Amino acid sequence: MLEQLRQRLQAMQKPVALDGAPGCLPLGVKPIDATLGGGLARGALHEIAAPSEAHLAAATGFAAGLAALRSDARAPSPRLRGEGRGEGVFPNTQNRGNAPSPDRLRHSASKTRVNALMAQTVDLSPHAGRGERHRLAWIAEDTALVESGALCGLGLDAFGLPPERLLTVAAARTQDLLWAMEEALHCRAVGTVIGEWRHGAIDPVAVRRLSLAAADGGALALLLRTAPMNDLSTAATRWIVGAAPTVIPYGFRSRGLTPASRNDEEIIPRFAAHLVRNRRGPTGSWILQWSEADEHFLLAPHAQPVAAPALDRPHRQVA
Amino acid sequence: MLSLWLPRLSTDRIVRWRDSSPSPRLRGEGRGEGLLEAQTRGNAPSPACHRCATAGDLSPHAGRGERALVIYGKRGNAELLVAVDEAAERLGLSPGLALAQARAMHPAIEAIEEDAEADSQLLDKIADWCLRYTPLAAVDAPDGLLLDIGGCTHLYGGEQALIADLAARLERAGFAFSIAVAGTIGAAWAAAHHGEPESYKGGEERALLSPLPLAALRLPPEIVAGLARVGLKRIGDIVDLPRAPLAARFGAELLRQLDRALGREHEPLNPRLPIAPYVAEQRFAEPIAREEDVLGTVARLAVRLQFALERRGDGARRIELTLFRTDGELRRIAAGTSRPLRDPAQIRALFVERLNALADEFDPGFGFDMARLSVMVAEPCPPEQIGIGGGEDSAELDRLVDRLSARLGARRVRRLIAQDSHIPEIAAVSVPAQAALAAATDGGWQAYRHYCAEAELAPRPLRLLARPEPIEAIAEVPDGPPLRFRWRRALHEVIAADGPERIEGAWWSEQGGPARDYFRVEDKSGLRFWLFRSGLYRDLRREDLAHGAAAPTWFMHGMYA
Repeated sequence: MLEQLRQRLQAMQKPVALDGAPGCLPLGVKPIDATLGGGLARGALHEIAAPSEAHLAAATGFAAGLAALRSDARAPSPRLRGEGRGEGVFPNTQNRGNAPSPDRLRHSASKTRVNALMAQTVDLSPHAGRGERHRLAWIAEDTALVESGALCGLGLDAFGLPPERLLTVAAARTQDLLWAMEEALHCRAVGTVIGEWRHGAIDPVAVRRLSLAAADGGALALLLRTAPMNDLSTAATRWIVGAAPTVIPYGFRSRGLTPASRNDEEIIPRFAAHLVRNRRGPTGSWILQWSEADEHFLLAPHAQPVAAPALDRPHRQVA
Repeated sequence: MLSLWLPRLSTDRIVRWRDSSPSPRLRGEGRGEGLLEAQTRGNAPSPACHRCATAGDLSPHAGRGERALVIYGKRGNAELLVAVDEAAERLGLSPGLALAQARAMHPAIEAIEEDAEADSQLLDKIADWCLRYTPLAAVDAPDGLLLDIGGCTHLYGGEQALIADLAARLERAGFAFSIAVAGTIGAAWAAAHHGEPESYKGGEERALLSPLPLAALRLPPEIVAGLARVGLKRIGDIVDLPRAPLAARFGAELLRQLDRALGREHEPLNPRLPIAPYVAEQRFAEPIAREEDVLGTVARLAVRLQFALERRGDGARRIELTLFRTDGELRRIAAGTSRPLRDPAQIRALFVERLNALADEFDPGFGFDMARLSVMVAEPCPPEQIGIGGGEDSAELDRLVDRLSARLGARRVRRLIAQDSHIPEIAAVSVPAQAALAAATDGGWQAYRHYCAEAELAPRPLRLLARPEPIEAIAEVPDGPPLRFRWRRALHEVIAADGPERIEGAWWSEQGGPARDYFRVEDKSGLRFWLFRSGLYRDLRREDLAHGAAAPTWFMHGMYA
């Protein structure tokens, strides 16, 4: 009897599949997708926390990256449509999980430009991505915007998230934030809802409501937080995401600081991502890097373990 | 045209707030009370205190034993009476008398300094309340109102019924008043202020005006005095005079006022509030107070508006709900939409959010006895196509935007647009989403991408601070990146830097500021920042530094992922 009830509960808690779209959003990084059981569940709430206030921009980048990811890798993004990447049906199963060659990294910046130029020839009307709920609602409290800056459209565009897709909401109070998130989750046009809930302890009831709203609407709900507390919540996963260095500090410093040598190093978005809670599987830690050129995550080539040790050390299997 | 004159506005105001605040300690707070609340105390002014009440009248005021009330104000160097109440008038006091003289005549009078601000606020409130009769209500400073009741009287069952209703409500509220209706503004005004306050038909202006004094034409006192000097005292005296000599001697103003009063020239009314193109209203026999009832009314009125909107192919962009409380207070609730709208269900949904947001402010008191839904801004609304193209998706988003804007305020729900500028904080701005949706859907990003690719701009940060924050930085001179810097009391050691990217200030503008050199830097822990140096070291001369001129300062502007 109990077992039956459990099974029924489990069935009810399964992520709702969108019409046509899968119930999961694959990150395109094999070990992470394996840990998550296929990808980040849609129709569920995920917490992304920055280890401290200073790392909030990195957590923002991680969330923006998730929002920019395309669940159907088959259809190239509008930004890329002119490029004609004939990579087959499932490009992320072929080579995305692998570390890219340094050449590829170095050229990523110029590639962005090429893409941008190519995009000129492509129809980029807001209806181009019809039927795949590509709208994004970013809801933040006023205090958060003052403390750590508002989203910059220019930066988002360079990052690979077209700002046209974004709707930003500034909430005066936490209740307004939660209400706006719920409303946005119920909207069928919005595919991703990101809420910056920075202050105060998390309220399990509110999180539960958000989870239900997400399950109801099928959108991806992300809660962006700072200074995570180990509190209870019904979120499907909890991530702690900070910035990871792109250059090796000590070796570099010993070579001396000359402007020329520094300019060789490319500054790219790189995250130390720890999956600290996962309702559907094990946890893990990875160093990820965001490719702004073609909008996907990949494992950092010089992956080093960061301060917090990985619990099951999945990076060992990859390296 | 209806002219309403409140001859004792200032004294009535004082008496009213005194009556409404029983304890003397609270007197000052009485102004927030309902405008036209029914006064239950026995000393409320009676209907008899009309302007026409003469000194011999035995009005209840006489037996009240209250001191006569006068309002005084400074005119030039003298303190003169500007308003007197009825009791004072019976004592022979009148506006224009010096306060000292009045006190000498009647030491017992009570004198209060004028408060023109409060008077005009009260008059505005009465004007708002008169919107229940007509949307065309204008304030006739300092103590009157003009209502264009043309086409509105049938709602009350005729002109006389409307006047009776207005009179009854004003009486209950304790105002002395005088109401006249006539074909022109000038004639109605003259009748209310100087003639028999009743209702005249169009065409009767001449007969009405002829016996009245010339001051009834709303002329400056000098002209009236000048006319009196040549023996012209009544309007009838000048109606048939040759016009050219009159104009030559007393100016065109006299003839214009005469023509306007007689209806030979049109006089525009300047309504207090903009006129809504579409209006639907409903009166209630029993006041309603519950939120559900209000929303039900909104839905019903919206259905009526829908037909009117459809006929002209319009949709509402801004809708206002006016609720008339029984005590004369008004509640005005407005909601904006991001696309022309005429679906009653959606209009109702907007007001659900607005009422939720108002919560406590939405105070029904003893209930509302009238509701009006007006479309303040209408735009052409093409017939909707359902299920073709991306229309449904974006309509869904618009509905979300409307709901959020209604609850949180339109300026809190925004979209990002790109602007044609090289200065980063101007290049991308956020605008209220309801306004942005109506504008170009692209938001200028195509053009920005093109420009970005041409100019090979370095990537911009994900988060931009509202205003750059000064940091203490140690940098290589003349134009090197910072080696270490302190921001918000934390020290950051720079291990990689990219730059400089020089962004000139707006040199064409006074507030342009100096050029900035931007650097992307990464610190030891992997945090990535966008810093700039404001100003150049090479612009500094040694002698300037000796005089304490500021060296270029460093600022933190944004954070990269």
